[in-house]
Amino acid sequence: MSNFFQLVRNEQTKLYSQLATWIMLGILIVVVLGFAILMRTADGFVSDYDDATWKQQLQEENESLAEFDPADSNILINNYRIENDLKPEGMTAWEFLYQGNYMTSVLSLLTIIVAGGIIANEYRWGTIKLLLIRPATRTKIFFAKYASVLLFALTALIVLFIFSWLFGMLFFGLGGDGSMLQVKDGEVVEISVWTRIAQDYGLQLVKLVVWATFAFMISAALRNGALAIGTAIFLMFAGTTVIPFIYDKPFAKYVLFSNLDLTQFTTGMKLIDDLTLTFAVVTIIVYYIIFLVVGWVLFVKRDVAGH
Amino acid sequence: MTEPAMQLIGLKKQIGSKLIVKGLDFDIQPGEVFGFLGPNGAGKTTTIRMMVGLIRISEGDVRIQGKSIKTDYKEAIRHVGAIVENPELYGFMSGYKNLLVFSRMIPGISKERIDEVVELVGLEQRIHQKVKRYSLGMRQRLGIAQALLHNPSILILDEPTNGLDPSGIREIRQYIRRLAEQENVAVIVSSHLLSEMELMCDRIGILKNGELISIQQIQNTEEETPAEVVQIDCPAEHHEKAQRLLQEEFGIIAMASGEKLTFPITRAEIPSIIKALAVADIELYGIAVERKTLEDKFLHVIGENVIE
Repeated sequence: MSNFFQLVRNEQTKLYSQLATWIMLGILIVVVLGFAILMRTADGFVSDYDDATWKQQLQEENESLAEFDPADSNILINNYRIENDLKPEGMTAWEFLYQGNYMTSVLSLLTIIVAGGIIANEYRWGTIKLLLIRPATRTKIFFAKYASVLLFALTALIVLFIFSWLFGMLFFGLGGDGSMLQVKDGEVVEISVWTRIAQDYGLQLVKLVVWATFAFMISAALRNGALAIGTAIFLMFAGTTVIPFIYDKPFAKYVLFSNLDLTQFTTGMKLIDDLTLTFAVVTIIVYYIIFLVVGWVLFVKRDVAGH
Repeated sequence: MTEPAMQLIGLKKQIGSKLIVKGLDFDIQPGEVFGFLGPNGAGKTTTIRMMVGLIRISEGDVRIQGKSIKTDYKEAIRHVGAIVENPELYGFMSGYKNLLVFSRMIPGISKERIDEVVELVGLEQRIHQKVKRYSLGMRQRLGIAQALLHNPSILILDEPTNGLDPSGIREIRQYIRRLAEQENVAVIVSSHLLSEMELMCDRIGILKNGELISIQQIQNTEEETPAEVVQIDCPAEHHEKAQRLLQEEFGIIAMASGEKLTFPITRAEIPSIIKALAVADIELYGIAVERKTLEDKFLHVIGENVIE
């Protein structure tokens, strides 16, 4: 096991010795900063509530919301605020952090780039020949590299959190403890910071892990980083667009894209009617295992021949 | 007899329906420098890759210190240090960091050992520079350093002097000899520089079309083989008589070209042939003896450089 830990440590050393890795993390920070500036300067994103008139403001909001959808849960929340004398905080560092869950697509992109390169690059550099003639089995090296990809995703996620919160503080102020109101079964309840982060980010991270694993499989199996990164990014962004064409076919619900967006179960806007959360989770796990096993078998079995 | 450092047992590699390596059987002893010689496409690299487990063995086995690379990979490979083809290392890291990364893959390599190896290959001054700024010669040295990190008992070097200047070549050569003689390491080198191999190796295995067609012992060449080519200078009208004499008395076929006759004999035979020719009244204007080099032998043994 200490052997495995050393292998992961090696992968991290190699990863962070490359300028490209730091540039990627830099890009992530710049995107967060850009998002913060955009929200601060663009009209309509940030509503400030006056101490004297906030109740009136919320009433007006409710009226305009009701015009589109009388069942909008925000109406319930606004009413709850007026009744309980809870002034909304407007845009805060916490709020900015939550909004940042869309930033996970940037995170996915970066993770796919790392996953697609981590094995293929060793072949491109020729270093695979030195890596595979050590007393560590190919299986161990394969999983050490995979663990390293996940570790990178986690690191980038932490960077995203820290800078989202930091820029949020800078541009919008801290404000409150980060808890928020949400409608659950027709009741307005208060939920804590961590529940909310898990909820907002968690579902996005499922996609990230699946597509990173897919890129990793292609990287291990075909030893071509560009192909791995290209196909994974393409499928991630374009995959769901095939659903409208196949949704009425019997096989549609077994397609990965139909299941991957788990937010369809929290919003109730299901892509295919007879999907259930359990079915989707099981399907995702099956695909995930297939990706890993295919990558692993090909990495272990294939000869390392000349260029 | 001690246990061989490496044994090849009926080693075969088949890709599709084509046999690339057609059954190699030989042993490499500890403390021996073994050269692998052969034209391009003879299966040298395939064989070396099978030795270190980069390529699956179709049939037969490679045993390293008695451990099979197929069934006991971890135990077998820990005795091996190698550079397969070019010394390709991580260019974005310093030489030292490269060694550090490789040292972590094998338990029990201390920081002192890394420093020791760096000193051994003479890279102290540049070890903290990024490898992408290294010359080919420096990469070669770093490659050898990583191969030696774990004190292997078998060192496999593909084209070890590639890209080195003459003094670097001499240094590496002396270093390989020292490893073999003092530390009892079995060194396997492959090269196409025959003169280089001759200076470095104890034995040379010649590979052609996936078969080992000859193993030459380097020190013994002078005694053993009819290594001399003799060329005599005599008038053309005497040629026929001389050829007949050589054929009848010594069983030698001599080739005539212009004023000269050329034939291969052993060194010991030279005086008696000169005497016989003189007694038979053949006018000799000159006699030249050429030692056959390994290169001639190599070309002689492998025939034309045909890749099948």
